[in-house]
Amino acid sequence: MSPRSPMRPPPGRQQLPREFIARHQRQRIINALAEEAAEKGYRAVTVADIVRRAGIARNTFYENFPSKEGCFLAAQEYAVEEALRRVVEAAGGVDSWQERVRAGLGSFLASVATEPALARACFVEALSAGPAAVERYEASLQAFVPLFRIGRKVSPQGGELPATLEETIVGGIFWILYQRIVAGETERIEELLPELIEFALTPYVGAEAARRTASEPPL
Amino acid sequence: MAAEPADSAVDQAAEYPPELSRLPPGRHGLPREFVVHNQHERLIAGLAEAVAEKGFANTTIADITRHAAVSRRTFYEHFTSKDECFVKAYDTVMEQLRERVGEAYQAEDDWPHAIKAGIAAMLAFLATEPNLARLCMVEALVAGPIVVERYDAAIQSLVPYFRKGRKGRPREVLDRLSPTTEEALVGGMVSLVSRRIFAGRTEDLEQLLPDLVEFALTPYLGSAEAAKIAREG
Repeated sequence: MSPRSPMRPPPGRQQLPREFIARHQRQRIINALAEEAAEKGYRAVTVADIVRRAGIARNTFYENFPSKEGCFLAAQEYAVEEALRRVVEAAGGVDSWQERVRAGLGSFLASVATEPALARACFVEALSAGPAAVERYEASLQAFVPLFRIGRKVSPQGGELPATLEETIVGGIFWILYQRIVAGETERIEELLPELIEFALTPYVGAEAARRTASEPPL
Repeated sequence: MAAEPADSAVDQAAEYPPELSRLPPGRHGLPREFVVHNQHERLIAGLAEAVAEKGFANTTIADITRHAAVSRRTFYEHFTSKDECFVKAYDTVMEQLRERVGEAYQAEDDWPHAIKAGIAAMLAFLATEPNLARLCMVEALVAGPIVVERYDAAIQSLVPYFRKGRKGRPREVLDRLSPTTEEALVGGMVSLVSRRIFAGRTEDLEQLLPDLVEFALTPYLGSAEAAKIAREG
């Protein structure tokens, strides 16, 4: 559990509300699955592995999730929601769209770097975890498309850009992340930020403007 | 393919798997008769059909032999497991794909048109062979680590073709490219194509050609020139 997790109880509370405990537990189980899957591959993980890692009873697992698959889908859902929330937050106080992409992508890569097991689950294991997981993967890719689509408004080419451009950009970013995760290079993922900003912005604002945004010092 | 499994597969000429029927004679350097009766090829095509029907996980050896119109004993003469059969099938399909794409690429005089021809050949192959498309771009990811490695390597093997686009470009174009430009381009394009295949939309694949070509050529030629080549003829 990363120190930035929102699941720490406020200091001084003697009695934790049921809801808090429930959320915390779900989170713990999801993290346990992600870590087991990162080690063994999703297929090889059993519910026994998950409960052992999470330090909970088997019953507790089944109170939270119907199955291993159900838990995995929940992990994907959680990861996307969290990532989107952080991206939108990071991009919030900024004026230009290019700057918002920079801040958002930066926060996204930071999420991947701080939660490598979850990132592995979403970018790597998801593709071999069954059709429902692949659909979730697809949905998570699509979830980021609107953020890039806004670029068409600031682009001199606007309406003439290929219809599939956003999907291809997000797909390309996801592929690069996949490669780096498989190669075990997650700690270095944030180094990719300038290149990925350029890759994402160039089709909308041209290479020069993209490079300018990409080479600005971090916020 | 409703043929009964036969102990010797010799007399099934009229019912050989559709994938094989589309191979021009001599592609393997073998006469068509031989290919048709070649159990190995039939098993591979049989696997492609079986997996297209049920997905790799749910496919059994019985499914494969039924589609291939060979006996279970024959299967085990060629492969020790479903996994091994899949690896072979994957390698065979990828070889066909590489040949088609390579031929189309080599036939053009300049790099941008070579890229366009290569992408067109790939989309055409995948669109006309939906079972094989699914096999190599969707099912490959669930067929175990050996195949996944090959899949990754196959995608990365496209990078050098795009890297050639750097040759002869002016300094200011080269300066705008980064070490991962080609990887991101290839990854984006493959992602788009494989997701269409996953959604069962192989008939739509060839429509992606102009978008993909424009996307691929823009970093090297600029958007105006890339769009022109993408949308011409």
